[in-house]
Amino acid sequence: MKKDILALCAIALLIAVIVNGTEIQSVDEYYLTHIDDIKPDSETVTISIRCDTILDNYGDLDKELKSEKYVPSDGIILPETEYVLRPGDTVFDVLDRAVRYNKIQMEYEGADKNSYGSVYVEGIHWLYEFSCGPLSGWMYKVDGDYPNYGCSKYELKDGQKIEWVYTCDLGKDVGGVWQGRGN
Amino acid sequence: MKAFSGYHPLTLLIYFLSVLMTAMFLWNPVIQLEALLGAGLFAAMLQNGKETAGDILFYIPLFIMAALANPLFSHNGVTILFFMNGNPVTAEAFIYGIALAVTLIAVLLWCKCYSIIMSSDKFIYLFGRAIPKLSLVLSMALRFVPLFKRRFHKVRKAQRAMGMYSSKSYTDRLKGTLLTFSAVTSWSLENAMETSASMKARGYGLAGRSNFSIFRFAPHDFLLLAFNVLLMLGTLMGAAFGELEFYYYPQISGSSLSVPGLLAYVCFGVLTLLPFIIELKEKILWKYFISKI
Repeated sequence: MKKDILALCAIALLIAVIVNGTEIQSVDEYYLTHIDDIKPDSETVTISIRCDTILDNYGDLDKELKSEKYVPSDGIILPETEYVLRPGDTVFDVLDRAVRYNKIQMEYEGADKNSYGSVYVEGIHWLYEFSCGPLSGWMYKVDGDYPNYGCSKYELKDGQKIEWVYTCDLGKDVGGVWQGRGN
Repeated sequence: MKAFSGYHPLTLLIYFLSVLMTAMFLWNPVIQLEALLGAGLFAAMLQNGKETAGDILFYIPLFIMAALANPLFSHNGVTILFFMNGNPVTAEAFIYGIALAVTLIAVLLWCKCYSIIMSSDKFIYLFGRAIPKLSLVLSMALRFVPLFKRRFHKVRKAQRAMGMYSSKSYTDRLKGTLLTFSAVTSWSLENAMETSASMKARGYGLAGRSNFSIFRFAPHDFLLLAFNVLLMLGTLMGAAFGELEFYYYPQISGSSLSVPGLLAYVCFGVLTLLPFIIELKEKILWKYFISKI
């Protein structure tokens, strides 16, 4: 009986740890993100999210996504917008704030879940990796260059320009090079 | 002797393969539900009431676990219920999880029926000559779990009779179960080696060796096979026309009901219910004959 109580305590502890580590938010709570007002002396960055390449490869797109609702006809999911840069912000922090503020769906894999130690953006606006052919997915540019490492490892500076683009060909169709090859 | 197991092994194999493949690869809720219904009714016919009740007790928690696991890992979908650790939990992911659980249990039940109906002598009869080694390994693998279960109960009974693991504490009982599990595992592994050595000693796989059971391809086997092929054609026609397409992400949508789609649903429904109907007919005949005496 003593052992049973001990085992029960261990299970209760485990559940408590799991519950404690889980943060549950309602939809309104989640989207209630505070966006700092831009003042003359505040540091800012711009961010845009586009999926033009899908329009060129519309045939490869998954059937269920072939709709104006998921792929805007101009390819712009988020037009270039200026946001305040908080100290220590990475590309992912700015993206997270921007999609929350604009109520754009996004799914990501946490930095602790992969071997790169960085957040991986799986899908934005219901457009996922592999949604438009086997070489498709989301990539990001900062000031026109592809950093080729995780978006939560890139710390931003004042005035930088982030572009999230959807590629259908491992970055070749958006002017990027994968892992430095062919540079 | 069950009525359905009286059919020729070839007919049975083709039947089980066509049902299993359709249930696994045609990702459509109606097809999935039909597969589950057919498997459930058939399994209930093959087992007694106690076994069926045990099955239900096992599959309901499995169903709930499989259905709830999906929304934890998949965050696609337009209908957001709430956010967990910054990722959305959506209604679509829940429904997809339920569909996944239905398919999982349907396939498990069909495999259970397969292992009851297709005994290893039937499997060896079909493949023993063409691929002797592989067919022996496959037939041993397919009966591994049922055999394991039987042996597990045997060992537990023996140990209980010796007065071991009779403590009331759940922890002690769990420990005892784990000990039994390890004992049965080593027994099973050892036994597999012995089986293959024994089969070799008996000249298994040599030319001119006859089978343990001899099956004759009778007219009723041909009838079932033809029926099976016809119904499968009806089902696949619906799939080929694209009328069975159904999407869960990002929004639940499917092709509207049409003639080929409806035909496919009816065909597959009849196909999955065939073994149940055959068993039921046999049971009714049996009762009818008894009451007449």
